[in-house]
Amino acid sequence: MHILKRHIKTYRLDIFFAVISVMVMAGATLLQPRLLQEILKAIMASDQDTVNQYGIALIAVACVGLIGGILNTIFAARVAQGIAADLREEAYQKVQSFSLSNIEKFSTGHLVVRLTNDVWQVQSLIMMSLQSLARIPILFIGAFILAITTLPKLWWVMILMIVCIILASQILFKRMGKYFGRVQKLIDRINTIAKENLQGIRVVKSFNQENNQQQKFDHDSDNLTQLNTTIGYLFSAMFPGFMLIANLAITVAIYFVSLGVASHPQDLAAIPAFVTYLMQVLFAIMIGGMISTFASRGLVALRRIGEVLQTTPDLIDEDVNDMTIKGDIAFEDVSFQYPESNDTTLKNISFNIKPGEMVGIVGATGSGKTTLAQLIGRLYDPTHGNVLIDQVNLKNISQESLRRGISYVLQRVILFSGTIAENLRQGKQDATLTEMQNAADIAQASEFINRYDDQFEHLISERSANLSGGQKQRLSIARGVIGQPKILILDDSTSALDARSEKLVQDALATHLKDTTTIVIAEKISSVRHADRILVLDNGRLVGNGPHETLLKESAVYREIFETQRAKEI
Amino acid sequence: MKDIKQAVIFFSFYLKVYWKALSLGAILTIMATYFQVTAPVYMGKSLTELARFLTTWMNPMTRSTASKEHFYTALLMLLAFYIANAIAMFLSSMLISKVSSEATGQMRHGLFGKLQKMTIKYFDSHQDGKILSLFTSDLDNIFNAMNQAIFSLFSNLALWIGVIIVMFQQNTKLAWVTVISTPVAILFAWFVIKKARTAIDQQQDAVGRLNGFVNEQINGEKVIITNGLQAQSLHQFTDYNKDVRQTTLKGQIYSGLLFPLMQGMSLINLAVVIFFGSWLVLNDGMDKAVGLGLVATFVSFSQQYYQPITQITSIYNMLQLAITGARRLSEVHQQDEEIESENTENLPYIQDKVTLKNIHFSYNPGKEILHDVTIEVKKGEMVALVGPTGSGKTTVMNLLNRFYDVDAGQVLFDNQDIRHVSLQSLRDHVGIVLQDAVLFSGTIAENIKFGQPTIDDQAMIEAAKQAHIHDFISSLPDGYQTKISDENSVFSTGQKQLMSIARTILTNPDLLILDEATSNVDTVTENRIQKAMDNVIAGRTSFVIAHRLKTILNADKIVVLRDGQVIESGTHHELLEKEGFYAELYHNQMVFE
Repeated sequence: MHILKRHIKTYRLDIFFAVISVMVMAGATLLQPRLLQEILKAIMASDQDTVNQYGIALIAVACVGLIGGILNTIFAARVAQGIAADLREEAYQKVQSFSLSNIEKFSTGHLVVRLTNDVWQVQSLIMMSLQSLARIPILFIGAFILAITTLPKLWWVMILMIVCIILASQILFKRMGKYFGRVQKLIDRINTIAKENLQGIRVVKSFNQENNQQQKFDHDSDNLTQLNTTIGYLFSAMFPGFMLIANLAITVAIYFVSLGVASHPQDLAAIPAFVTYLMQVLFAIMIGGMISTFASRGLVALRRIGEVLQTTPDLIDEDVNDMTIKGDIAFEDVSFQYPESNDTTLKNISFNIKPGEMVGIVGATGSGKTTLAQLIGRLYDPTHGNVLIDQVNLKNISQESLRRGISYVLQRVILFSGTIAENLRQGKQDATLTEMQNAADIAQASEFINRYDDQFEHLISERSANLSGGQKQRLSIARGVIGQPKILILDDSTSALDARSEKLVQDALATHLKDTTTIVIAEKISSVRHADRILVLDNGRLVGNGPHETLLKESAVYREIFETQRAKEI
Repeated sequence: MKDIKQAVIFFSFYLKVYWKALSLGAILTIMATYFQVTAPVYMGKSLTELARFLTTWMNPMTRSTASKEHFYTALLMLLAFYIANAIAMFLSSMLISKVSSEATGQMRHGLFGKLQKMTIKYFDSHQDGKILSLFTSDLDNIFNAMNQAIFSLFSNLALWIGVIIVMFQQNTKLAWVTVISTPVAILFAWFVIKKARTAIDQQQDAVGRLNGFVNEQINGEKVIITNGLQAQSLHQFTDYNKDVRQTTLKGQIYSGLLFPLMQGMSLINLAVVIFFGSWLVLNDGMDKAVGLGLVATFVSFSQQYYQPITQITSIYNMLQLAITGARRLSEVHQQDEEIESENTENLPYIQDKVTLKNIHFSYNPGKEILHDVTIEVKKGEMVALVGPTGSGKTTVMNLLNRFYDVDAGQVLFDNQDIRHVSLQSLRDHVGIVLQDAVLFSGTIAENIKFGQPTIDDQAMIEAAKQAHIHDFISSLPDGYQTKISDENSVFSTGQKQLMSIARTILTNPDLLILDEATSNVDTVTENRIQKAMDNVIAGRTSFVIAHRLKTILNADKIVVLRDGQVIESGTHHELLEKEGFYAELYHNQMVFE
């Protein structure tokens, strides 16, 4: 809740009016039966003037109630959407300050849900709170007190009704809660079967398993139908049950009024008012019950957003300097372990890379290649040991300097919807057309970009659906080289290119970025065999460091990788 | 309108078997309504009788004749009507719940069954997520609508008409006063709903754009971090958020307005009814006791009268969703099913060869994918299909298993056109191993026995051994009974391929179609896959969409496809001597994909 505190302050005036207007609305609702009672008394007394007076008051009160309701909605909406938008912005800002490991801890999918769906839930919660949550207790308590003052003798009828309703709903909801859990499980199972049958439709058909799958599906589906019917029965009992309790209370009330009517004739006129209050209490309980289930969902969402807001970014610049990176890299006994993992991904790794060198990194899947590369740009801090760039510990170099000097081309290409130019400019914000053309040339992307009429202004659609794998990789490489980085890291970035294009990219890099330290992570040895040096990783350990020919002679691991690939490709 | 018609047809199809329950439900609903609208009359009557008693009692002259007998009768009637109402409501509600859940169950069953019968084309041209939402959201919407809207539309209408009838019976003037504001209320409601719809549409658009942006940015956070683009991203976000702010405010106000508005109208109407009612009692020379009861009765009526009007809006939204859902489901049911030609025969075992003969094929009319393709494989031989992406290799596989039918030409098993044999027997003969192995949730045993659920464990283990996955499975604590699912997979990508090979080995297919996986796996698994493939191919007639050179070298015949045409075929050595496309691929050390 304290996440909202600051925001509540911002909108305190709107909140104030929203609460006032809802009180007016509830007040009007409560006042009406009382006025009705007075009118009925006046009828008994044949007092025309009083009837007129109260009649006009009655209409006026109803109008005030209506206006109160409208104003309340407007103010509530202002508060709800205002706080939600602010909260969303605050959370987004927070996420943008996160390090990669912060994000991975949440997982991107969950973060997106928190920023979108959860904020939406909170908005509904606020809206509902201001519209109803304030009204329900006022109505409940108000109607309860007024009912008792209307017919003080019959206080016990009210209490009895409330107790009965609460008991009945306890019993019903307890059983329903149990069923709801089971329904959810069955729905999940049914969806899983449906999903698997969609993904595996070719398997199902080619194995002639349609009937068996239908049986499996029907088994769960029929159980769901049964359960839904049972829950439906319980619900069927609920509304008539509650109404019956209230109606019995009404009958009892009328009966007891009749017993003493001779000595308290004014009680007769109080009956309709009492009945109305009784109904208001009933509805307050029912709506309150409904709202509390919604509210609990909103509170869960709020807590989840709170988790995002309360996370401290784990890579913070302190005691840092701006510097222009030259491209010297050194690892000193570096080990690394992912926060959620039990295994050390990198174990005691040390090496040096001189400015302008081209170094390949090879090793089996899971040997730690990508992790090693990510430590160079300080996407993570090592758990042990130091990473140095130009002899300065990474922790003492500002993030700003690192981002300017080091460029990544990621294994999984990520492009954003927008123009090609917008995507390339992510690598250098003020890149000119010439710079974009040069970068595209290096990445062998010019050929296909030039085929578009609008060239660099060509739109990339969502999930880059209008580009092939190779085109995406080329654009990603272009983005990586456009800023003329001092250190360029290519993480398996040419896997979707054919051998010829791959070679052309490598040649272009060698001529245009010859002062750049280039680190090439590759699955295929053919991609790195011409590198100045190759680092061989095996299970997180550095087991080889040298040029191709030397490694072939000296490193068993390298030789094995080379042999399997040769068998695979030639 | 077309949607509504479609929805009516759809619902009547599934509901007609429940006509008895539904008629009974309707009768019970009408009864419940009758009890509900008549109860206030007895409440009024009991008050009137009590007032009469009081007047008689107050007068010393008549006190001795004062009796509460009439009052008690009225009160008892009131009680009886209350109870009868509750019972009728409960019963009709039960019937409706039963019909709703069972009809939805039938729809679910029907949908799944239809999916099993449809052509592969439907699945290839529709996203899984969209199809899945038929189960997750559309069926759900329909169920909710049946439970809470469709039948309640009926009961609300019954209540509304019932209240009007009883009101006019009781007192015409007061009845007119009660209903007179209806057009105003409906006009208000209509105006607000209209405004709300536009506002909500705009709101949803803005929210959709924002969500899309957030999703893309956060999924691309690595790029943002490595390029230091955080400030820029935040700036863009603020723009989107501003849009959401503005549209949400309008959307929330209009959609939130309806309830207080109707509630307020109801309150005003009640006030007017009370005011006019009391005025009527005093000025129309009505008996005071009767008047008192009348006002009390109309207090209830006015509230009951407005209740359906207030509820109609939420019902309207649910109906809208159900109509959309019904339309989507109907559309699925109109899709083509796999064609089973008449007088089909069972496919005999291959004697001599399998042939694709002069085949033309297109997925979409006018865009031919295969042009006059002829490929032949002799019994017991293995043909490797190679060629660049998009050359038509996968299409060949689709045709052999009759996932699609050819436009022209024939697929022949010996001399039997596969369109003249039953689908079941064709697919019993043809086994496939897909590039991306698909496993189903369940135990490992269930997955291997997928095609032969009744086979004994001995055969299963033998198949797993041949697929080189037995050792791994045995090393698991639960062995073959280990449960697997999408989220909880014990297998690596490579092991999944082994599983799918084991599954196919167990069905012992006459013809094998194997699409080699391209994904990188570790050296050990790589070797296992190679051996498993050798085992499954050995002695079988097979088509392999080949990516590994070793597989290609093992082939009895290599068929090179490019742009939907067979450009070369022959053995490795023959093709190398040709110095054509294949030779170029080979010398460039390219991956064959």
